[in-house]
Amino acid sequence: MSGTRERVSDVHDLAPEAFEREVHSFEFWFQAVEGYLHGTTYGHRPDAAATPLTDSERDRLVTVLCNYCVGETAALEGASGLVAIAPNRMTKVFLATQAVDEGRHLEVLLHRLGELGVANPEAEIEKRASASILEFRRRLLALVGSKDWEAALFAQNVILEAMEFTVFQTHAQTADPITAQVLQGIVKDERRHIGFGENELGRRLRESPHRRARIGEVKRDLDALVIETFAETVRDIGIPASERPDLGRAYLAAVSRLGLGVS
Amino acid sequence: MRGVADLISSFTVQHWLESAAQGHLLGTEHGHHAGEREPDWLLADGTLRARAIETTVQLVVAERCALAASAALVGAAPDEASARYFATQTLDEARHAEVFRQRLLDLGVARDGVEDAVRDAAHPSLLRFADALLERADRKDFLATLVGANLLLDGMAFHVFELLHARHDAPNPKFAHTLAGAIADERRHLRFGESRIATLLRADPARRADVERLQRELSYWVLAALAEEFAQAPPPRAPSRRAARDPGKRAHWQGHDLDALAPGELEKLLAHTVLEEFKMRLARIGVTYQTPVRP
Repeated sequence: MSGTRERVSDVHDLAPEAFEREVHSFEFWFQAVEGYLHGTTYGHRPDAAATPLTDSERDRLVTVLCNYCVGETAALEGASGLVAIAPNRMTKVFLATQAVDEGRHLEVLLHRLGELGVANPEAEIEKRASASILEFRRRLLALVGSKDWEAALFAQNVILEAMEFTVFQTHAQTADPITAQVLQGIVKDERRHIGFGENELGRRLRESPHRRARIGEVKRDLDALVIETFAETVRDIGIPASERPDLGRAYLAAVSRLGLGVS
Repeated sequence: MRGVADLISSFTVQHWLESAAQGHLLGTEHGHHAGEREPDWLLADGTLRARAIETTVQLVVAERCALAASAALVGAAPDEASARYFATQTLDEARHAEVFRQRLLDLGVARDGVEDAVRDAAHPSLLRFADALLERADRKDFLATLVGANLLLDGMAFHVFELLHARHDAPNPKFAHTLAGAIADERRHLRFGESRIATLLRADPARRADVERLQRELSYWVLAALAEEFAQAPPPRAPSRRAARDPGKRAHWQGHDLDALAPGELEKLLAHTVLEEFKMRLARIGVTYQTPVRP
């Protein structure tokens, strides 16, 4: 009956049920983000050095950021849509924290576009968004709209988040310092979202193995779009072909952890 | 009236992080100061504790409804900036639902008994309000859901929290601090809601009639829920609670001495305050207040 919460030094020491209660709470989210967002404004430290970009570099960066905005908009709409169909209260609370993370990602990317001199980000996104990421967004929201919890969660928290995690982490290694800080902050959130997706789906697939076929179907449906989006992004980031990492590998690794294999 | 772009610039995620997460919530645990607990006078009195559980259940139900409506508003928002704002409101409402659920545990409800407690004690009219609001949310009617969630539900919550805060400020600092954080959030939701509804109605004046109809229906369930809440209230000035209060510090709200009011008088005061505030907000956005009618 105490009003105080026990301080948890390592959540992994907790029993499974207590672990879920802890990591799906507002309190856990708050402690997690406070560590890396404190002192930042729009995702970077105010004293981060702005590196001069050539016209061509700036143009490519604007295209990449516009496509990231489409991905984050899809993630924002997807996460908030999942709140309505989540099977329990703890999951709803986690998805509410994820929705605000995605809203923040979209906001810091739009702000970065503004810093790069884009006066009307909405129009620029409309002009530069790739067909593959737009199609991915359409299919993700269709899954959420159909209230297919496992399939929608898989598309959102495994496929989309793993795709963004991999791309942003790679891009941050070669980006200008401000963009790099913005992306590194986003990556920290994505790791949490992927962990939630893998845990939740892994548990449900263990309980109901027959659902595996449906997830495999969604994966096959979205794989081509993911690979196409990877290819476009790597090209726009400007990484030479000889140095391009296999971006698909991390995505496929996340999927294989769920026992879905590689198609 | 400011335009949408000006309005949204005051309601960014960055602003929310600075004012809420890194502002009034900094250093709190489940919304209150670390180490605070429900007072002994409350935990030791079975009648008062049961009453506190019943009241807290209504807060949980209202916040769960607000969470579902806010999440739906993200997907229904006509512009991405509003969608971003509603992501912050979604998390605010999830936090409120979580801290009030935690209060049920602090009041002695077993962890696996929370859902039963909510099911048993939720006021029927509050559930009818939630059904009516979430039906609009399911239809992705942005304006109607916004009016129901940010003007009516948050408007009611704001005043209920204020009244509860006034009553608990001295005898139960833990609950008062939890309420203070929620009040700060609701104030933000009300400000955004009022301004955004005004911009929508300026763009589409034909929808004023829809807003008036909705207000007439939903206000009925608001008033009915308040009546159900006070119908269960214990006699005024319960001895243990009165004993816990510094005799020189009586609870005041809206110019009234709350310790001197009977439950019926408290209900009348709260309902009057909620309705007057609805009227003022509606008048500011050019909508005529409609007397509530049972749907």
